[in-house]
Amino acid sequence: MSSSTAAPVLAVQGLTVERDGLLAVDAVSFQLARETDTALVGPNGAGKSTLVAALLGLLPRASGTVRIMGHALGPAGQLPRSVRAQIAYLPQSLALQGRFPLSVAEFVGFGFDPPGPRLPWAVGQRRHGAVQRALERTGCRDLGKRLLSELSGGQLKRVLLAFCVVRPRQLLVLDEAQAGLDAPSSEQFHQLLLELRRQEGWTVLQVSHDLEMVRRSCDQVLCLNRRLRCSGVPDYALSPARLAELYGPNVVPYRHQHSPSSGDAHG
Amino acid sequence: MADPAALTLVLAQPFMQRALIGGLLTGALGGLLGSFAVLRQLSFFSDALGHSALLGISLGILLGINPTLVLVPFAVIFALLVNQLVQRSRLPADALLNIVYSTSLAFAVVALSLVETYRGGIQQLLFGDILGIGWPDLAVIAVLLLGAMAYLALSLRAQVLLTLNNDLAGAFGVRANWHRLAFIVLLAVVVAVSIKAVGVLLISAFVVIPACAGRLLSRRFPMYMLTSATMGGGCALVGLLGSGLTNLPSGPCVVIVQFAGFVLALLVSQINAHGATTQASS
Repeated sequence: MSSSTAAPVLAVQGLTVERDGLLAVDAVSFQLARETDTALVGPNGAGKSTLVAALLGLLPRASGTVRIMGHALGPAGQLPRSVRAQIAYLPQSLALQGRFPLSVAEFVGFGFDPPGPRLPWAVGQRRHGAVQRALERTGCRDLGKRLLSELSGGQLKRVLLAFCVVRPRQLLVLDEAQAGLDAPSSEQFHQLLLELRRQEGWTVLQVSHDLEMVRRSCDQVLCLNRRLRCSGVPDYALSPARLAELYGPNVVPYRHQHSPSSGDAHG
Repeated sequence: MADPAALTLVLAQPFMQRALIGGLLTGALGGLLGSFAVLRQLSFFSDALGHSALLGISLGILLGINPTLVLVPFAVIFALLVNQLVQRSRLPADALLNIVYSTSLAFAVVALSLVETYRGGIQQLLFGDILGIGWPDLAVIAVLLLGAMAYLALSLRAQVLLTLNNDLAGAFGVRANWHRLAFIVLLAVVVAVSIKAVGVLLISAFVVIPACAGRLLSRRFPMYMLTSATMGGGCALVGLLGSGLTNLPSGPCVVIVQFAGFVLALLVSQINAHGATTQASS
């Protein structure tokens, strides 16, 4: 991890977001230091996805400022293309109902070119090589010709990581990226994410309900329930008292261990 | 087998030559836009647009304005309003579109019943009159096809990403809402312009059937768009020639050929899937 005195990759100040006339996120402030892994946790409906959408410029802000790599996010989500090119976002799912005629290699290739209009025939050897390397690094080398809609849940998540790693980026935002995966697939995805983060020097912000994973691997935790209830290192933010405050008194802190060989989860 | 002499006779007719060019262009345009429309689950939307076009035509006739001039602005405004309704009402899109298209059809029939002097037949509105297509119509469709090709080619990545996930596209700098609206407007214009040739009832077939066949056959996105457009244009040519030789209605003949193409694509995809399974297990 780099020095904490370096400029933050993401700086959020007093961010307030309204959705359907209701206050969804209320005066939230935090910073992400370079090459750190931060988890955003909280109950369903706490405003986590709304917060993520607003700081990516996908939803309008009622008030507050967002700075990404030193650049202020415009009112309608404007950012310089060079900054946009440094951001990757992993959604919970893709709309792949039925047969979707897009190969894995094509999809990963879309992540290579910088944002902006592009002529379809502007396909170079450099792009092809980058796609092959990204597929290899994410364990998807044999999946390049498969259709995106033919993949299992675990394969699809790895391909989404290949989409992120196909070009250098600084900020990776994941919105419950492990949703829908069984325990072994979730653990595999998590290990791959950790490895790539170390190699690439990504700064990560991930919305997660897997508190044990957050405890094991994140540097910082943001506890959100419309407002930022607390933040800090996992041992502090995920203490029983803080969890009871965030989720209610009936939540029992749950610790389990993942065995890398079997991927089993134990209560 | 077609009689060569009869085929030559059919092809020698200027109206048939215009109809064949019109069918090729309209079919290709429908297939091209359909390739995105079916992935974005806008098939029913194009159907509703087609039915609403009848209302636009009826209003034009009722107000004494050339229906062709009314149709394009009417279809665009109608599409934008329906899009807003679907986004804001929190009701399932298929139910809302059903309400919209059946209501607009009802209004259209009532409006037409008020016009005693309307000389065009309802049959022509419902099933189109591709044999009556003129050179100015062809020029408009050709410009529209070129425009659609240029727009989709330049924004291909944006279109695919926002079809997959709106936020994924937005985080990548794609102006997702702008592109969604632009596509809906383009679809509305294409439907409005094609109505004269294809008719209200059959227009959605031009958008949906070739694209579904292309979807079954393709494994790469540009190939999917090309297959859909080729299937659309090719089926229109074969259908129109068949219509000319048998003296059967042209629009329905094209749709029947499109359906045959779809069944063929289904069979080929099943054979390919079976072959892939056998290869994997051996």
